[in-house]
Formats: sequence, structure tokens, C-alpha cells
Amino acid sequence: MTTTAQIPLTISEPEKRSRRRGALSRTLVSYSFLAPWLIGFLGLTLGPTLASLYLSFTNFDLLQDPQFIGMANYQRIVTNDVKFWHSMQVTFTYVILAVPLKLAFALGLAMVLNRGIAGLPLYRALFYLPSLLGASVAIAVLWRQLFAKDGLANVALGFFGVEGPSWISDPNYSLYTLVLLSVWQFGSPMIIFLAGLRQIPPDVYEAANIDGANKVQQFFRITLPLLTPVVFFNGIVQTIDAFKAFTPAFIISEGTGGPIDSTLFYTLYLYQEGFAYFRMGYASALAWILLIIIACFTAFSFLTSRYWVHYND
Amino acid sequence: MTNAAAPTQNVSGARSLLYHVILCAVSLVMLYPLLWMFASSFKPDDEIFGNASLWPDSFTLDAYMRGWSGLTVSFGTFFWNSLVIAVLSVIGNVISCSLAAYAFARLKFPLKNFWFALMLGTLMLPYHVTLIPQYVLFLNLDWVNTFLPLVVPKFLAADAFFIFLLYQFFRGIPRELDEAAIIDGAGPWRIFWSVMLPLSVPALATAAIFTFIWTWDDFFGPLIYLNDASQYTVQLGLRTFVDSTGKSDWSALFAMSVVALIPVLLFFGVFQRLLIEGIATTGLKG
Amino acid sequence: MTHDLNRRTLLKAALGSAGLGALGSLPAFAQDARVRLYWWGSKERADRTLKAVSLYQERNPSVKIDGETLAWGDYWPRLATQAAGRNAPDLIQMDYRYVAEYARRGALLPLDEFMGKSLTIGDFDKASLDSCKVDGKLYGINIGNNSNALIYNKAAFQKAGVPEPVDVTWDKFFELAAAVTKAHNGEYYGTSDGSAEEVAFENWLRQRGKALYTEDGKLGLTEQDAAEWFAMWAKARETKACPPADLQALDKNNIETNLLTQGRAACAFNHSNQYVGYQVLNKNPLGITMYPQGAGPNPGHYLKPSMMWSIYARSKVAEQAVKFANFTVEDVDGAKLLGVERGVPASPKVREAVAADLDAQGKLVVDYISHVTPKVGPIPPAPPKGAGEIQTMLRRIAEQVSFGRLSTTDGGKQYVSEAQAILSRA
Repeated sequence: MTTTAQIPLTISEPEKRSRRRGALSRTLVSYSFLAPWLIGFLGLTLGPTLASLYLSFTNFDLLQDPQFIGMANYQRIVTNDVKFWHSMQVTFTYVILAVPLKLAFALGLAMVLNRGIAGLPLYRALFYLPSLLGASVAIAVLWRQLFAKDGLANVALGFFGVEGPSWISDPNYSLYTLVLLSVWQFGSPMIIFLAGLRQIPPDVYEAANIDGANKVQQFFRITLPLLTPVVFFNGIVQTIDAFKAFTPAFIISEGTGGPIDSTLFYTLYLYQEGFAYFRMGYASALAWILLIIIACFTAFSFLTSRYWVHYND
Repeated sequence: MTNAAAPTQNVSGARSLLYHVILCAVSLVMLYPLLWMFASSFKPDDEIFGNASLWPDSFTLDAYMRGWSGLTVSFGTFFWNSLVIAVLSVIGNVISCSLAAYAFARLKFPLKNFWFALMLGTLMLPYHVTLIPQYVLFLNLDWVNTFLPLVVPKFLAADAFFIFLLYQFFRGIPRELDEAAIIDGAGPWRIFWSVMLPLSVPALATAAIFTFIWTWDDFFGPLIYLNDASQYTVQLGLRTFVDSTGKSDWSALFAMSVVALIPVLLFFGVFQRLLIEGIATTGLKG
Repeated sequence: MTHDLNRRTLLKAALGSAGLGALGSLPAFAQDARVRLYWWGSKERADRTLKAVSLYQERNPSVKIDGETLAWGDYWPRLATQAAGRNAPDLIQMDYRYVAEYARRGALLPLDEFMGKSLTIGDFDKASLDSCKVDGKLYGINIGNNSNALIYNKAAFQKAGVPEPVDVTWDKFFELAAAVTKAHNGEYYGTSDGSAEEVAFENWLRQRGKALYTEDGKLGLTEQDAAEWFAMWAKARETKACPPADLQALDKNNIETNLLTQGRAACAFNHSNQYVGYQVLNKNPLGITMYPQGAGPNPGHYLKPSMMWSIYARSKVAEQAVKFANFTVEDVDGAKLLGVERGVPASPKVREAVAADLDAQGKLVVDYISHVTPKVGPIPPAPPKGAGEIQTMLRRIAEQVSFGRLSTTDGGKQYVSEAQAILSRA
């Protein structure tokens, strides 16, 4: 969109000064919007973040001053730490299983709830309820009851003639109960999908109806493309959250990551190192490695997003 | 309850029944754990763990009364504290994050991509390792044992999640609307106030809901920064009911967990109307 | 634009004053000493503690004590964070597992210099004093003693028609347990599987004349010891005296997840001061007795402090903190307010005074400690750095053995090699 006349071959000095002043005032206005975040970032976040980076190069037992040890923490992580690789594996499995399932449920139910059915507000609240319980201690108790050998899950499976194991206390299956816990709390991404669906103008659907498109076509040709910014958002955020997941494993395994480290999420491992074993320097190094992994994933997602995310601007 | 803004596809009778059946089934699955918790709040302590059924053998309201008397202060105080922190957080978050999101989504300025990357970066570091440096920072500011470390960051857009959320929504609003406003002589602040915000009500309502609920559910921040029991929030108060090494009060825990759900449900109920009945996006091509 | 900035600034200023309001009364300088008191526990403990605080403040008006309390699980992260920020509370309720960690890292004040002055705990028996020492210096004031205790469901043994597991050897113990399981058709086990519990392992080791750690912080056991321990429990699993691995893994050895509470096993390996907590959650009456003892002369049990008062090394009000701590364990009025809820008091005169107010359960615990006291061995040396990690590691290896991923001999080898790696790294 062009607004001004063509640029003259020579620009007069006053004109240059005026344009510089214009650019400066525009920058100032932009930064005024950014100001709260910038103040917060520089004042409250940057310092502690850099401090944790520094700590990753030290031995820090919380109670005495940190001692600089260079790359020793990182070396140990990469060459001599079995638990590191194991917890990475547990975490990656969790991410790969939980995120797509959670998003699928969230989108599916958001679509169902977006229609004109009676009692919608009630259902919306009901589906969101599990997410409200979040990290409560009560959840751990419930989950153990549900997924023990004689818990309700196996009773239900029994109706189909399947004899289930003790899901929550068998190291082969315990991780799946945590995946299920995450998927159970799909309310948050569902709400966001709903908000996204609400921003699609109904006249687009009307036009498609007039043109004779059926529901499935409408979903793939209209809904999904227009929803891509929200899908992208939910995808990135849920993945980052899943990589950083801590509380579900912490409350259900009572901080042990058991049985046999089968639920040792990476952040739980980090927490143990820092708070239980007084090795905060090592924990900081673990955290920064996680950050690098997440950052790579996010950068990759952003770079490839131009091929499938449609913004309206 | 249908409304003008929703895609008004009136679902036929049989279809509607099918939807209801599916929804009910899913609801039951979602709800069972909560029903168990609700039922347990009426059981005496020695029945909770031995008896998995939903119906209490002996029904008692004791747990609610014990639970309300809280720790060294009543649970009412915990509720009030949580409410103050949550409401302030909602206000702070919505204001500061929408400002930052607008800057990233619509404005041009030097170093924009750099700041954006850093902003996203703050989402990626587990809080356990910045905890202690942050604690020291707040200690030096003398903010420990107050609500300040929990609330002030919200006014400074510390929750990158919401900046990112609103950023995505703002980018979904067509630029033509901005341009129309510019032709009318509007500057960035006018555009923000008159164009972006009204069209983003669903997103803002989402941000408000999530901020409220996450602040309400947060226990780690209050754990570290609030020393006096009189300042504890609901989540922190709930956790004091269970001491794995000694006497716990499980039924009181469940009773108060049920009660603690009420404000969040209320908040959600009120704000979800904004979410769903957001301004219609008809009239784009005005 | 300036309009909006002003609004925001105003808001922050208002917030600042609201925050200051939430700060409570600022510490007064000059006369009033302010002591921060930090403990973990339940509501009952909080009530008792605050009563003791009020009484003390009545008698000592120039001291103000601020109480801060949390549940066990949250207690330690907050303490660690505050200590890292050089802002820990003055008077800290400390646990035996952590006192060495904090003391050896210079976070706690040695209390020897207060002995005989503000600290009048000379009437404690030697064991109660020694158990709170690290590397020869006193770091804790013993609040109450406890010892290992097997907590069991009496009715289960009655139903099986066998005697209760009191004063039995390990072999006899497993015999009884298997009988209980049989009487319940395999749906309820005679005992929980104790192979992952360090408390049971340590007790068993001491009976063989070994120990977890030696005086100089090295491992006090061999691969064979560990392998035999795992083998003993593998046999118990075979005879169904104890549950299979996937049932046992539900048990994280705290009161609510324990198989005893969950109604799946009749015995739990624990400590005497948790008896009351267990009974509250269990409909059936529970008994309390010593762990099965070996046939030899070495006692497995020892008396250890269930908790102790420690003083933060950087506290500016150490003297006042010590005085209050002393009040709770030596002054009869103060100690009576605390009761036996934290453990059996170490001072004989206090024990006597408290005995009158005990309820049936409290009496049971006190009697148990009296019963056990003549039968205990010396307290082991304070655990070396890394002991916490080794405790967690035992659970993991025991689970690997019980799930069949490791043989018992390999389990023994693995335990020793990992333990040595942990000790050398610490």
C-alpha cells in the first residue's frame, strides 16, 4: 500500500531531518508499547537467567558459595550420566505421545462444542474442569486409585474381557498413565481452539454452503486453514510445556520418578539434582541443555511455519 | 444457548441426540475422578483409602468444618489472598501482554526479531533453576514475604505465554482494518484501542480465564515467597493438610479442594460468555 | 500516551503500598528480638506449637516469635531456597536425614557453647545428645526420640489364627506372613515388601554386625550382604508372604500410599512416631512392635531423634532462639503443650510430666519406646554426603530385582558399585 508521492531524486536537508524525526518518534511509540515487557525482562528476568547460566559452570550446593568449575558439569552430562539419557528418553516419549493426542481431543471437542447444541456452556465447563485441578495432591490419589491393578480402569477393561496390568505401578506402563493425565486436561488448548473457531466469520461458511461444499470439505478447506495460527500456537506451547513437565510426575511418583525411573521426567531429574542432592550447579547445566533443545525445536517450527500457517495480515 | 455470532447450523434431532450421547460419555469419564473427590470429602478419614466406592459408608460434614478452620488462620483468609493475587494478576497480565503482543504483531521497530526471540526464550527455561537467583533478587528488593513477587511480574508481561497467544490472535486480524483507521488519521494507540482490542475479545477473555486459573492453582510461587500462614493462598493452604510423615487430614483436603473449585468455576462461567459471544466478525468488508 | 503511563505508574505505587501492607508489622529495632520459627507438620502440631509460643511470649515479653509452617514435602525446598538466599529462619525444625547435610555445609550453628547456659539439656541421656551431633559437635536439640517400628494390622493375624509378629526372627516372620496371605486367599498379604526400604535394610545389616556406612564415611556392607537381602525378599515373594512387584510399587513408603493403609498388606516397616498417623487412616486397630530380629546378639534398632531444633548459622537472634528451644524440651509447661506428638521427650522429668496427659495411642508409643530402649544398639555415625541419593538408589535397584530385571546377585553388585560412585562424587 503506497500512500505518498514518488520520492524526489534529491532529498533536501530539512526533509531528511523531518524523516529522521518521524522515524525516531515511530520507534519511540513502538517501544512505549513494549515498555512493560522490556522493563520486566531486563529488571526481573534477565538477571536471574544469566545467573542460572553462570551457575551451570559451577559447583553450587545451595548453602555455600558457588565454585567455578568450567565445563565439568556439561562434560559429565554428555559422557557419564546414564540418568540424563534415560530421562531424555522418558520425556521425549511423553512429548510425542501426549501432545498430538491432547491437541486432537482439544480440537475435536472444540468443534463439537462450537455448534448450536443445547447445554453447551455446561459441557464446556465440564470439559474444562479437569484442567482446573491442575497440580493438586488429590489428583495423585485419584490416579493411583484409578490405575491400580484392581482400579476402575481395569474394571472397565474387564467388561471387554481384557485383564489389565497395574498400570500405574508397572514400569512398562506407568508413563502412559501420565500421558493420559495430560490428555485428560485438554481443556486449556480446547478453550483456545474455541476462541480461534469463534474468530472465523460465519459468512465464509454460508458462502461455502451456497457453493455446495459438504461438512468434511468445509473442515479441510475452510476451518483448518483459517485455524492454522491457533494450531501453531497450541502446538508450540503444548510441546514446550510437555518438555518442561514436572508436576504430574512429581505428585504421582511422590518425587521418586519411579517405579524404576520410568516416570523420571527431565525436569524431575533436574529438581532432584538441585534440591534433593544439593547439586544446583549441575541442575542448572541440565536446565540449559533443555533450553537449547527446546529452542532448536521452536526455531525449526517457526522457520517451517511459513509453509503451512496462514495469517490474515 | 445459541447466539448471533456462532455459526448457526441448527443440528437435526438425531444428530443432536448423538452429540449429546458422546458428550455425556466423555463428560462422565472426565468427571469420575472429581466425583470421587467430592464423595470422599464426606467420608471419615479411615474410609477414604480403604473404600473406592462413590458412596460413603458414613456420611459426615466434619471435613468441611475442619477444613474451613484451616491452619493457623481460617481458610477464608486463604481464599481472600488467592482472590487478591489472582484478580491483580488478571488485570496486569491482560494489560501488559496485549501491549507487548500488539508491538510484536503490528509495529515495526529496530531489534524487533531479537526481542521476540528472547521473549519466546523465557518460556523455555524450567523455573527451578532461576528460582534461587530470582529469590535473591526479590530478597534484595525487600519484597519477600509480600505479594509483590507474585503480582508485579504480571504487570510487566512476564508471562510470555500470553504475549505469544495474543500475538497469534492479533496477526489473525486483517490489516485492512488498520489501514482504514490510518486513513481516518488514527495513530498506533488509537488503532490498538479501537480496532485490535474490540476484535480480540475472545482472546482477551481467554487470557483472563487462564491467568485467573493458573494464578489460583499456582503453589510454587507462594511457597517460596510467602512465609506467614496469614498470607498463604488456597493451594498452599491445601497442601498443609497433608503431611506424609505424620497426621494428615485427607477428607478436609478433599473438602476444601471442592470448595476451592467454586471461584474458578464462577470466573470461568462469567468470562466464557465473553469468549464465546465475542464480537461478530461480520462486517469486515465494511 | 502520557495519560496511560500515569495510570500505570499510579497502579504500581498503589501496589507498592498494598504490598507493604501485606508485609505485616516491620521488625522493630531496639528492644524486641524477633525470632523466626520454622517447622513442618499438621494442623495439630501447628496448634500446639503456637500455644507454646504464646506461653513463652507471656513470660518473655521482649521476644516476638513468628511461626512459619508447611507440610513435609514443601518444607525442604523452601528451606533450601531461603538458605541459598542467606535468609533462612532462625530456629529450624530439623530432620536426622538432613542435619548432616546442612551442618557440614556451614548452615547450622554448633550449640556446644550454649550448653549449661541457655541450653539446659544436661538431663538428656547420652544417646539423645549424641544422636544430634555431627562430626563431634552438637547441632540439634533433640525434640523427641523414636525408633524403627513394625506397624501391623492385628485383625489380619487373628484371622489367620497365627500369633502376632512380636519378637520373631526373620524366618518366623515370613512364615507368619505367608499364613496370613493364605488365610485371605492371596488378596491380602502378610507383609509389604521391605526390600526397597532403607530403614529395614539398615536394621537387618546391623543385626549382622554390619552397617550402611562406616565411621569414615565409606560403605559398611559388601555385595554379598546386599545380594542376601534381595534374595531374602525374593523368597518371600515366592512364598507369597509379600506382594509381587507391581503391587508393591504403589507404595512410596509414606503413610497414605503404604500398602498397610491401602488395605493390601498387614505390615509396614516404619518409625514409631508415625503410628498415630497410621491409626487415623486405618479402621482396624494397629499394633506396634520391633522389626524381626536376627538370632545373633547385634541389635538392629537404635534410638534416633524424630526431629530436632537447629539454629541457622547466620541467625542474629541465636541466643533467644536457643532459649525458646530449651523451653520446649526442658520446661514442663512448654513441653506439655507440645505433647508427644513430635516424639517421646528425651528429658526424663518431661517424660514423666507428659505421661499423665497421654491418650491411649500416645501411651502405646511411649510404652513402645520404653520397651525398646534397653534393647537398642549405638546410634550409627552421621551419614556421609550422598546418603540421600543412595537411599533413593536402593529403591530403584530393589524394584529392578523385584520386577525381574536384575538377579539378586547382580542387584547386590549394582548397589555397591553405584553407592561407591555416589560417595566418591559427593
